[in-house]
Amino acid sequence: MENAGALTGLRVLDLTGHRAQLCGRLLADMGADVIKVEPPGGDPARRIGPFAGDLPHPDRSLFFWFYNLNKRSLTLELGHERGRELFLRLVSSADAVIESFAPGFLAKQGLGYEQLSRTNPGVIVTSLTPFGQSGPYRDFEADDTVLAALGGMLYVNGSPGRPPVRPFGLQAYHSAAYYGAIGTMCALMARERDGLGQWVDLSMQEATASAVEHVAPSFFGAGQVEPRRGTLHWSRFFRVGKCPDGYVLHCTLGDWTSLVEWVAGDGKAQDLHEAKWNDFVVRRQQAEHIFDVLDEWVKDYASNDLLERAQLLRLPYAAVRPPEALFEDAQLKARDFFVEVEHPELGRSFRYPGAPYLFHGTPWRVYRRPPLVGEHCRQVLCDELGVGADELAVLAGEKVI
Amino acid sequence: MADAPLAGIRVLDFTWVVAGPVATRVLADQGAEVIKVDRGGESAMSVLSPRRIGINGDLNRNKLSVAINMAVPAGVELARRLVKLSDIVIDNFSARVMRNWGMDYASLAAVKPEIICISMSGLGHSGPRANYVSYGPTLHALGGLTLMMAEEDGAPAGYGYSYADMAGGYTGALAALAALWHRRRTGRGQFVDLSQFEALCAVIGPALLDISVNRRAQQPPRYDSQEGPAAPHGVYRCRPRDGDDDRWLAISIRSQAQWERFVKALGSPPWAAAEKFRTLFLRMRNRSELDARINAWSREQSAEQAMALLQQAGVPSGVVANGADLCARDPHLAERGFWPRLPLGEGVTTQVTGIPLKLSRTPAAVRSAAPEVGEHDDYVLGQLLGLSSAERADLATAGVIWPYTGAKSGAAAA
Repeated sequence: MENAGALTGLRVLDLTGHRAQLCGRLLADMGADVIKVEPPGGDPARRIGPFAGDLPHPDRSLFFWFYNLNKRSLTLELGHERGRELFLRLVSSADAVIESFAPGFLAKQGLGYEQLSRTNPGVIVTSLTPFGQSGPYRDFEADDTVLAALGGMLYVNGSPGRPPVRPFGLQAYHSAAYYGAIGTMCALMARERDGLGQWVDLSMQEATASAVEHVAPSFFGAGQVEPRRGTLHWSRFFRVGKCPDGYVLHCTLGDWTSLVEWVAGDGKAQDLHEAKWNDFVVRRQQAEHIFDVLDEWVKDYASNDLLERAQLLRLPYAAVRPPEALFEDAQLKARDFFVEVEHPELGRSFRYPGAPYLFHGTPWRVYRRPPLVGEHCRQVLCDELGVGADELAVLAGEKVI
Repeated sequence: MADAPLAGIRVLDFTWVVAGPVATRVLADQGAEVIKVDRGGESAMSVLSPRRIGINGDLNRNKLSVAINMAVPAGVELARRLVKLSDIVIDNFSARVMRNWGMDYASLAAVKPEIICISMSGLGHSGPRANYVSYGPTLHALGGLTLMMAEEDGAPAGYGYSYADMAGGYTGALAALAALWHRRRTGRGQFVDLSQFEALCAVIGPALLDISVNRRAQQPPRYDSQEGPAAPHGVYRCRPRDGDDDRWLAISIRSQAQWERFVKALGSPPWAAAEKFRTLFLRMRNRSELDARINAWSREQSAEQAMALLQQAGVPSGVVANGADLCARDPHLAERGFWPRLPLGEGVTTQVTGIPLKLSRTPAAVRSAAPEVGEHDDYVLGQLLGLSSAERADLATAGVIWPYTGAKSGAAAA
């Protein structure tokens, strides 16, 4: 038990397409047995790049690798009678099914929540769809960009007078995936009381809207439509400035006196030593002026030097770094954030981003590299479900697996 | 109707700013009793909105508040008595704060062995930078997100919001749920050391793998799709609405079938039949010309009508919603009841962000508006800790608690 994860013993069937694969991975990282059920030939997400060595191949998609670490793979044709039957047998021993098909699709296949709960009344079905299972947009088409648009995330990025800018990383999908994992866990907690499962309806648009902390509160609280403000954060406590070697993030929270002494020591304080600026409410109101003064000051600094010295003074400054810098980051190194994952068939290991949290009792860990297409068919069907080897060959012949 | 999933779970909540309160909002929404340990006086958050509306109202609905002065030993003693009655203690201070109060996991496990402690510090409890001070925008900058969302000239474009706070907050809530699940199985609590920085880095995975596997330096993707090639893909300017010229429609087209439906929806204009737009590859290569054509079309459309037209044709598209679109004009969110209304007293109400999860059997609910500082001291100090009014008055005089003296904001401010 020493090395067991917090969710060891849970079994999850993961039917999700590329929009929602982080959900199952979050559970797999904590020890749940997450079986990715892919169509024969493999999940279309395996065709999304970038690819290892830039060679497009279903087992080399880095997109797929990241979202499917720690899962097992079973290929199964759910449109085939035998495929459905095998899936239902898996459902009878599963705790949860996660899916992201268009609303109504699984029900039409005879695999909707009603049918699954008849097979296993304790099963939890978590459905992650762009707009949820009800409402006028239910059947609308969306990707992460469209969700960021309709979730209020896109409009507030970038500068006034210029087009809104798309965020980095699939933030709409990820917001939904976190909530999907949270909803699955909540339904499991509810099941503790009476043994009954339920259907979790997750709307990606709503998860996206929830992830924008200020737009709805400003509208309901102050009747204000939040504009784009460039790099001036909506709180008015942060703005990006330019150093000779790159960019730096200013912040007017923290120990103001130390900051002003430092800037004054460089002869760049202008009016910042005036007593009125000691009040951070005033600093917030006249943020543009303060940041203009600070922009002049940082012109003589290397961004990393500025960051180190500022943090010694407990000023929440940051260097604006490229993602490559994370691999050299002393803090991430000290905490062993990046983990080596062996890919034996490629003859080497690769560094993956690792745990978002260190569970002291039940460690996050790498259980297995992302699965090859259908890698665990025999293990799951023969060893665990008792399907005979002959039957397996027949299933493969009929393209069920 | 069965009880909410987390009914009976008590959370002692030391979090502040955004990431921590996001985590405890998730738990409170699902029925946990979240007791916010507040302090009196002004903070970076209190200047952003009144307590019961705006961002503070949105983050703290469904929670209770008690105001304890943790800077004095008697305050810490009160908090430790509350720990004995709680399942989870959660904070998002940098590593030293809880330790300095004697509220670190080792000390609390001595008081209550099965306690779960979730600490959501900026950069984690170990390592050379454990004591860095950070906020969401700090972490965006350090993590590469700020630089990777750029204007055309490569300058950071500027996030309107703080995704780091959400990545950290949701991760914190999930950690709490997993630790609770494990405790149900084994009876054992534990300490979770969550670094908000790592929570953020953990979800830019495909880009990080491209660096580690292919040694490729990342470029800001701008309007390149981040989920496989797409063209057209981006935002297109629409007709002004009520004098507002900042109207945009997002369009994402991947498959040939989507392209054909798109062209048909536009009335099959002659330009769309050109060889240079025939395949996805060609559309990618001739993107600026394609975008110019689509902009010329969209400029004449209202964003709402263009979305309706394209969605009718099965083309992924959506209004780039501003606050009013999102909160007052989106018929879908309205029908799903995503902006629930809460009473603030004296007939005044406010609306807050809803819960993106609908659990069929145990639906969560937004039950109560955010509390004023110390609003629940009768319940927390009186009922839970059994302190008499005289004892509480003494504690207030000694500066150990900030007693609740009635609403200071909220109804009046709303």
